[in-house]
Amino acid sequence: MLEIKNLKTSIGGTEILRGLSLRVDAGEVHAIMGPNGSGKSTLAQVIAGHSDYEVTSGTVEFKGNDLLELEPEERAHEGIFLGFQYPVEIPGVNNAYLLKAAVNARRKHQGLDEIDAFEFLKLAKEKMALLHMDPKLLNRGVNEGFSGGEKKRNEILQMAMLEPSLAILDETDSGLDIDALRAVAEGVNALRTPDRAIVLVTHYQRLLDYIEPDHVHVLSEGRIARSGDKSLALELEERGYDWVREAANG
Amino acid sequence: MKSPIISIDALNKVVAALPEDNLAASRRAALDQLRQDGLPGGREEDWKYTDISGAVAIANRWLEAGAEMPRGGVSAADDIVRTIEADWVVIDNGQIDAQSVDATAIAGVDIERLSGSAEQLTPSGRLGDLNAALLRDGLRISVAAATELARPIGILIVDHADSAATVSQIRVDIDVAANSSASFIEYHTSRGDAELYANSVVNVTLGDGSRADYVRIQDRDRVHEQTGYQSVTVGRDAVLRHCAFDFGGRLIRNDLVIDLANPGSNAEFAGLYLIGDGQHIDNHTRTDHRTGPTESHQEYRGILTGKARGVWNGKAIVHKGADGTDAEQANHNLLLSKNAEIDAKPELEIYADDVKCSHGTTVGQLDETALFYLRTRGLSRHQAKQVLTRAFAQAIVGKSPISSLHEFLADRIAGRLDQLMQETDA
Repeated sequence: MLEIKNLKTSIGGTEILRGLSLRVDAGEVHAIMGPNGSGKSTLAQVIAGHSDYEVTSGTVEFKGNDLLELEPEERAHEGIFLGFQYPVEIPGVNNAYLLKAAVNARRKHQGLDEIDAFEFLKLAKEKMALLHMDPKLLNRGVNEGFSGGEKKRNEILQMAMLEPSLAILDETDSGLDIDALRAVAEGVNALRTPDRAIVLVTHYQRLLDYIEPDHVHVLSEGRIARSGDKSLALELEERGYDWVREAANG
Repeated sequence: MKSPIISIDALNKVVAALPEDNLAASRRAALDQLRQDGLPGGREEDWKYTDISGAVAIANRWLEAGAEMPRGGVSAADDIVRTIEADWVVIDNGQIDAQSVDATAIAGVDIERLSGSAEQLTPSGRLGDLNAALLRDGLRISVAAATELARPIGILIVDHADSAATVSQIRVDIDVAANSSASFIEYHTSRGDAELYANSVVNVTLGDGSRADYVRIQDRDRVHEQTGYQSVTVGRDAVLRHCAFDFGGRLIRNDLVIDLANPGSNAEFAGLYLIGDGQHIDNHTRTDHRTGPTESHQEYRGILTGKARGVWNGKAIVHKGADGTDAEQANHNLLLSKNAEIDAKPELEIYADDVKCSHGTTVGQLDETALFYLRTRGLSRHQAKQVLTRAFAQAIVGKSPISSLHEFLADRIAGRLDQLMQETDA
C-alpha cells in the first residue's frame, strides 16, 4: 500500500530524513518508534503533504501511484489520514460541520452523493459512543477548549468517519490518561481490517500494550535503524534508545 | 497634506437656492460655521490616515455644475426592502421618499420631516455642518415612551449617480423615549458609474431605561465615497447594541460617537469590514464615559486583500469622576495579501481612579497550520480558506443584535469573501 524508498527531506536547509525506506501493506499495523528528533513526526507530516518539508530525493508510492505529486487534500481523498500530535483549534468552525465537509469531500471524490444529514448524525453519534465522547462536542468549535484527551479522541472520531486506507497516528498516546488511552485504542482496533493499514508513531511502548503491532521500526537520525516484531518494542523499553543508536553506528 | 477646501462661492449659491423652509436658519448657521472651521483633514490626528479631498473634489464639481439631484434609485433598492423584514423609510439621493414615509404607520412611532419642524439642527461636527448647509430634508423618528416595537425600522439610503458627479446629504434624528425598546437597520446602497459622495448624519437619543438594537450596513458601489457621522446619547440604565458592516465603497469614513452620560448607560458595539483592492475604509469610534457605573464593549474585525486599506481607531475617554467604568476594546484583522494595510489604534484616556479598561489589537494572516489541518481532512485550499475567513467574520454576525438579519448577513459575507478571495488569487 505504502512504499517509501530512500526518502530524504529537509526543512529550512536542515536534513531530517536521511534515506528512509519503509513498506507498509494492507492489513498491517506498524509502529514507528524513536527518540525525540529522530524524524518520526517529519515522516508523518511528509506523508500527509506538509509543504514546509522539501523532499530532496527518494520516492513515496501509495497504492502504486506517486504520492509526492499530490496536494494534501488529494492524499486525503485517496485515503490517507493523519492524526495530529497537536490537533489544531479552529474557533468558529463547528466540529460537526468539519466532519461533514470532510466526509463529503471524500465521497465526492468517490463519485458518491453527499451524506444524508440524518445518516451523518446517526453515524457520528455511534462513533462517539464507541470513543466515550460527549455528543455535545459535535456542536463546539473544532477542538476549541477541548481537553488533551478530547482532542485526541476527536482525531480518532474523524478517522472513524473517514475510514481511510492508511491512517498515520502521530503520538496519539501522548498526554492521555489511561481511560482515554483505552478509548483511543479501542477506536483504532475497531478499524483494523484486512484492507487497511495503520502506522503508529510513538515515543513510548505503552500504546502498543493496547494496539498490537505487526511490525516495529526504530528511527534514529532520519533512518530506520532496526525493524522487528512487537518484541522489539519491549526490548527498547528495557534497553533504551541509546542501544539502537550505538548498534546502528557500530 | 492640506485640509480639503470646499468651494464656498459655489456652496453659497447652492444653499441660497434651497427653499426658505424651517431648515433655512440651520443651513445658514451651518454655512457660517463651515466658513469658519473648514473641513477636517491635513495633519489632524483623527484624519491622518484618511484623506477626504477626493470626496470634497466631487462635491466641488457637483456644486459648480449646479448641484442637480437626480432621483429614481428607489426601485433599484426594491430587493432590499423585499428581502429584509422591516418597516422601511427610503431616502433617495438625499431626498425623502414621500411614498415610503407616508405608508409607514407604526403604533407608538412618529416619523416627521425635519423641514416640518421648528427645531434647529444640533451641530454634528464639520462634516455635519456641510450636511446641514446642503440638507434638502431629513427625518426625525420618535418612539414614544414605554413602547416595544415588534419589527425593526429600516432606513434605506439609496444613492445613484448616472452621468455626472452627484452628492447627497442624509440626516436622520432618532429619539427613543424612556423604557422603550426599538431596533433599527440603516442600510446604505448606491448605483451608477458616475462619481458619488454621500454624507450622512444620524443622531440617536436613548431615554432612561430604553434599549436600541442598531445595525448599519454599508454596501455601496465600489467607486462611491461616503462619510458618515453617528452620535448616540445613552440615558440612565439604557442599553445600546450596535453593529456595523462595511462591504462596499471606495472611500468610507465612519464616525461613531457614543455618550455614556448617565449611571447604568451601557453600550456594546461591533463592526466588520471586508475590504478589497482599491478600497479605503476607516472606522473611528469615540466613547465618553462621563459618569459611573457605565460600560462599553467594542469589537471590530476586518478582512483585507489586494491593496486594501483599513483604519480602526477606538477611543474611550473615562472622564473625571466616572468611577466604576468598564471599557473594553478589541480589533482583529486578517490580511490576505502582502499589499493590504491596516492602521489599528486603541486609545484610552483615563481621568478616574476606579476603572476597568482593556484593549487588544491583532493583525495576522490565515493560520497555515489550520489550513493544512483542514486540507488533510480533504478540504481544498480554497475551501479551507473559505471556512476560516467565514468563521472569523461570523463572530461579528453573532454579536449583531437583530437576529432576523443574521442569515442575510451570513450570505452577504460569504459572497463578499468569495470576491475577496478571487482578488487574492488573481
